[in-house]
Order: sequence, then structure tokens, then C-alpha cells
Amino acid sequence: MKFLKDFFETNRKHFSEGGRFEKLHPFFDAVETFFFIPGIVTKTEPHVRDSLDLKRFMSMVIVSLIPPLFFGIYNTGYQSNLASGLPVTFMAVSLKGLKIVLPIIIVSYAVGLAWETLFASIRKHKISEGFLVTGLLFPLTLPPTIPLWQVALGISFGVIFGKEVFGGTGRNFLNPALTGRAFLFFAYPMKMSGDKIWTVVSGANYQGVDTISGATPLVVSAAQGTADFIESLLLKAGFTFPKLFFGLYPGTIGGTSALMCLVGALLLILTGIASYRIILGGILGVLFAAFPGYIMGLIHGGSTVPMLSMNPFFHLVMGGAAFGITYMATDPVSAPGMNISRWIYGFAIGVLTVMIRIFNPAFPEGIMLAILFMNLFSPLLDHFEIQFRLKKRVPNV
Amino acid sequence: MNSIRIRKGHDIKIAGAPSCDVEKLGKPSRVALLPERIPFIKPRLKVKVDDRVNVGSPVFEDKRNTEFVFLSPGGGRISKIDYGPRRIVKEIVITLDQDEGYEIFPMISETQLEDIKREDLVQMLIAGGLWPLFRQLPFRNIPNPKSRPPSIIVCMGSKEPFQPVPEVYLKDKGDLFEFGINILKKLTKTLFISASSDRNFVQDPLHSHVTHTCDGVYPADDPGVLLYYIKKHPDENRAWYINGQDVLLLAMLFKTGKYPVDRTVVLGGSLAREKKHFQTRTGVPLSHLANGRGDNTQRARYIVGGIFKGYTASKDGYMGFYETSLVLIPEGDKTELFGFARLGFNKPSKSRAFLSVFNPSLLPLDCNQHGEGRACVNCGFCAGVCPVDILPQFTYKSILADEIEEALDHGLLDCVECGLCTYVCPSKVALGDVLKNTKKAYFLEEL
Repeated sequence: MKFLKDFFETNRKHFSEGGRFEKLHPFFDAVETFFFIPGIVTKTEPHVRDSLDLKRFMSMVIVSLIPPLFFGIYNTGYQSNLASGLPVTFMAVSLKGLKIVLPIIIVSYAVGLAWETLFASIRKHKISEGFLVTGLLFPLTLPPTIPLWQVALGISFGVIFGKEVFGGTGRNFLNPALTGRAFLFFAYPMKMSGDKIWTVVSGANYQGVDTISGATPLVVSAAQGTADFIESLLLKAGFTFPKLFFGLYPGTIGGTSALMCLVGALLLILTGIASYRIILGGILGVLFAAFPGYIMGLIHGGSTVPMLSMNPFFHLVMGGAAFGITYMATDPVSAPGMNISRWIYGFAIGVLTVMIRIFNPAFPEGIMLAILFMNLFSPLLDHFEIQFRLKKRVPNV
Repeated sequence: MNSIRIRKGHDIKIAGAPSCDVEKLGKPSRVALLPERIPFIKPRLKVKVDDRVNVGSPVFEDKRNTEFVFLSPGGGRISKIDYGPRRIVKEIVITLDQDEGYEIFPMISETQLEDIKREDLVQMLIAGGLWPLFRQLPFRNIPNPKSRPPSIIVCMGSKEPFQPVPEVYLKDKGDLFEFGINILKKLTKTLFISASSDRNFVQDPLHSHVTHTCDGVYPADDPGVLLYYIKKHPDENRAWYINGQDVLLLAMLFKTGKYPVDRTVVLGGSLAREKKHFQTRTGVPLSHLANGRGDNTQRARYIVGGIFKGYTASKDGYMGFYETSLVLIPEGDKTELFGFARLGFNKPSKSRAFLSVFNPSLLPLDCNQHGEGRACVNCGFCAGVCPVDILPQFTYKSILADEIEEALDHGLLDCVECGLCTYVCPSKVALGDVLKNTKKAYFLEEL
């Protein structure tokens, strides 16, 4: 590894003060610290420091994103080949998935990193590792048919207006990845919702399109006016509970599989990186909000709003609820910092998600708006919990 | 005896704990006083270079409170007075004579102690140079002799790595300790003696004086933590505290009539080859302790006073007035390839993000910061370890926003300066420094 060290040593002068690329020092620093933990030593007491740094912290999130990412690549390819009438062998499907997903991720990272570097060099900050998470979370929430220029636009909006205008990582009150997605959702609704966007159709057998419905389970369930049990509606469309749980159905790139999100959530909770309070609170919130409608549906035999009488557990495995609760709601910066607030925050996200799904026909999916909405409330939740806590202290002034 | 369970804190699994063996060290050639390590004083020298002093001769006093005199820990010649930036007095070095002269202080027996007036006792302690052993919470300054403390806390030992253990420094000194306790009882009606519950000596019938046992991880046995857990009213905030070992010094002053200079100190840390207790004297050169007992394969950092609260000293430095511990750990100024991606079986961490959670063995820690500084991401790890339930992540932000009132409401003054918030922070924010410096500035403003 001598040559790597030498490489950084010989090139350091160009990026230091007075060097040719002085302005790009944050970029140089980001690359160097990716390879080497710097030999910085403590200056004051405490003389020792925990081994955990923000790079490790964010790496753990990336690691926990690997299951939904890999599954998402497979699923995207699988849905595409299925719809296009192409072979669905593992290799073919994975390659197809990579072909669709990889450009989206690369664009997301490249454009986002460019903005990060720009802001970091103007502000003379370091480039924060938080971006590595944002840059991967964002593509996973997109439909696979998204045009690449929209990916670039979305991540730009997310990074600039979701984060940097407020001062960068640690000062943003909204989740940057979701901010970018919300921007695309409202700016280009045709590319972000409906039942035609969830599968990339290609290849010779293009006629196959009409025979296969690209509808996501949420679109199916949101169908209004049919006095039928929702489960039978879903079943008609081929969505059984195990299928929904496993996630092999059309949807966002990374958000379809509740199973993979569960794996990621377990990893995040076991390593203590994400707050289990938010995740459990979110799950409880979804179940709590969906339960009364389900009971009423059982008593009255269905409902005019089919979503209302749906089995609460279906809410957890459909759409992006699992992905959002696991990866988006647990972003520590935009979530509350106090423990009871975290329970409330998670719970409210769950409740709001179901409410939006059931009562707002304009939005089949509610998790994105629920999280962004609760992001706004997390400082307030923190404030009240802190005030409550301070009352119990013996004053010391 | 009350048992207190402290819920928060953290014990680092650090290798290099000293054993309970004791070695009596020979006489050093010189000793020193370090005025800059005594909190909140402005020293005014009473000696010049080449002056001759006895053990117990006044060397300097506090400009703000000229009652406080600091006495010479050795008899001989003042060989060097070392100034730092802005002419702060750093070191006053005394080269010791073969036969040291002693200043004589009045002796008091147990029976005399019962009749002595509190004011006279205080004056004797001040004149005897031992008043600075008392410290007042929450600022840990030297208390005003005219004030009456709501309570005095004696803390036996410390969970900070690595400090002398009471079993060692109290060995064969039970009577002396008892006498010291009686002195303290003259100073206050409420005397708390706290010890960690995992110390065997708590069960020892000789030391039935212990009023509180603290059950928990570092810094469970800090006086500030004890006070936080037992106080019911704001009046109790300004308690005094004193170290268990220093209680012996009070007793020794009155028993022998001489300024006591004996100290039991420890040498520990992964780079110390002989990790044990030493009987030596205050102000001893660090080289006297560490030479020949260190591991020279790696560059060592000399930490005086403990890993969390102590200070870095040079190899030519000296032990301070309060410190009884020297820790040698690797400086650790090396880069590590792909450090963030390693499994980390040997990487100590409070978090569960490394495989070291499955590693029960003690690990050699170094002084590497383990990562670059970043912005706070509100992970709340600091609040999870704060023993006195401050919310460091919110408190430090309110300090940075100049909202001092809010920080005080958060319990800023309860901060025991344990340094754990800084230790756990994944963004490497020096939260502890912010809190500590604000406390200090607040104190100086009130002065």
C-alpha cells in the first residue's frame, strides 16, 4: 500500500493552499480519507476516542442498503424481462437489472457529489459521508423508467434545497433524498406515478406489453368504488401476501421487498446505527391506523373504499412503507434526537402513511409525504420532550 | 450504607491496568510544583531561583486570595522556574538536598481535635498548605474558607483508567484514615464517603465509614455524579469533595507536624512494562516513575491524571499537586488503510458497529482520533452515556448559539467533565471541551 500513500503525498501539494487545485481540496480529502483513516491524534482530554467515526456510521447504512439494492437490481431486470417476453434466467435478469439501475445510481452519485464538492469548497468544509447514503437512497426510491436527466435534477434539488442551503449535513431539517423525490413527484407526475412507469419494457417482444399489467399493488388497491374485499382484488392481480412480502413485483427500484428492508432494519438496529424506536414506532403506527378500518370491513363485509378494509399487515409489505420506515425515517439528522419523541415520530409516520393511502385518492403512496411532514415536526417534538425533562432536574445555576 | 445505581456511563475495555503490587521508590533528585495545573488560581511567586526552601516553605500564593499558599514539596534549592506563554508559571523545580529541612506545623492529637474550633482548624489547614485539596462543585475550584459546605464528599478511588485503588493506599493506614475522617467531620455535618461497589474494601469492617456505594460504570464514582443522584434541593449543589488518599494527608499534617509529601501513584497503560502502584512523593519527575519501566518500541504519550481527565505531559514533566496517575499509551499517529471498512475485532467502541462487541478481551487503545471531524448528525450517542442526564448534543448547540441560560437549564453545571460525550461522538465533536470551557468562563465571570 506504499504506492497509494506515495500517490497522495506527491499530489497533496496541488490541492493544498497555493496549489493548482486548491479549491478542490475537499474532494482530495474525501478520496484520501476513503483510503486512509488519517493519523490525527487527540489534542486534549479525553485522550482516547471511540473507533466509530461518521465514515463507519454511514458505511453501516450503506451495508444495510445492500440487500434492497441487490434485490432491486434483480427485481427490476426480472420485471422488465417478464414484461418484454425475454428469458428470466438469473444471469439475464441480473444483467438487465444492472443495465437499468446502474446508470441511475451513477448519475445520482456523480451529480450529487459535484454539488457537494462545490458547496464544500466554497464553504471550506469537508465532504460529509452522509451524501453516500443520500446518493444511494434516492435512486432506490425511483421508478426504473425514470429518465436520467430527471435523476440528475432530483438529486440536485435534494442536495441543494434539502440540505446545502441550510448549511449542509447536520443542519438540514428534511431528508434530502426524499426532498429530491418529492420534487420529482410534483414536478413530473407523469414519470413518477400511474401504472405504466414501474416496468422497463424493451426487446423484440414489445407487443407483450398489453398483456401484462404494470400496476403496482397500491394502484390496484386504490381503485375506487368496487364493493369488494381488497384482498380478493389484490389476489386477482396476482398479489398474494408472500409475494408482496418477498417483493418480486413492479415498483420502485429498491422499495418493493419488505423482506430485504427487514434484513436491513435488523442490521441497523443490531449495530445501533438506526433508532429502533423509530422503526418499531412506524410499524406500530401503520398497524394501529389500519386496524379500525379492517375491523369495520370485517363486520360490514367490505367497504366502498377498498383500502380502508385492508388487512393492516398488507400496508406494511406494500409500496414503500417498509423502505421508508427503515431507511428514510431513521435519518438521524431529520429525525428527533429524544427517545420518546422518536417513538411518537415513528408512530405518526406510520399513521399518516396509512391515512394518506386510504383517504387521499391523489396519492396512492403516503410514506414519502408522511416522513417529510414529520421531519417538520421533529424539532417541536424534541423541544417539548426536553422541556418536560428539564422540569425534573434539580436546578443548578 | 446507601447503594446507588448509576445507569449511564461507559467503561472502556482498555488494556494496561496496574496491579495492586506496591513498590517504594527511592528519593528523586528533584521535585516540582506546577501552578498551571491548579484550577482558577493566579500564582504570585514568593521565591526566586536559587532560594533555599524547606519542605513546607511557601513557594507561591494565589493573587486573588492571598490566604491560599502553596508549599514546597521538597527541601533544597529552587533550581528552575519555567514560564509558559504570557508568562504563566508552569513549573517551579526544586533540587533536593540530601538532608531536607522541614517547616514545623502544630500537631493535634485525637483528643485535641474534639475541642478545637472549626475556624481554627480551617486556618491550620490553610497554613499547612492542604486547603487546596478540597474542591467545590460544580466548578471544582478551591472553596472559600469562610463558606460552609452543604456536604463534603470523600471519593475512594476512581473508575477512570487508571487510578490508585483504596486497598493499596489505605493499607496499614486505617487509623490515619479514621483521624482524617474526624477532621472532615469537624468541617461539615454532612459527610458522604462514596466508593465503587466492586471494591472489596467496602466490605472490610475497618472502613464502615462508607455512606454510599456506587454501582455502575465510569464515571459512577465521581463526586459530581453522586451529588446529582442524591441531591434533592438546589442548596446542595455547592458541595465540596476530596479524594480518599488526600484525607490521609490531612491526618498526616496534624499527626507529624510536617507538610505531608507522600503519595501512592500508579503507572499504567499498554506501554508501561511494570504496571503497578508506587510509593513516592508529590511533584516527582515523571522520568523517575517511568524510566526503565516503559516500552520503547512505540512512541508513548505521557498522560498525567487519567485517560479521560488528565493532561499530556512531556517526558521531562512532573506529577502535579492533585494527580496520582501516569498512563503511557501509544500516540497512534498512523494512518490506517480502509479503516472504516474493517471488521474491527480489535477496535474498541461503545457502539455495536464493530465485531469488537464479541471480543471480551481488553484492547490497547491509542490516542488516534479515529476519523476526521464532521458536523453533528444528532445521533444522540452522547446523551446515551452522560452520567448526569445532560443532553450534550442540544446543550452544546445552545452554547454555540450563545443561549447560556438554556444551557444552564439543561444542567450544564451538573456536568462532571468526564469526557465521555467527546469519547463516543462519531463526528469527533469536542462536546466535553465546549461544556467545560463554558463552565469555566461562567465561573470566571462570577468571580
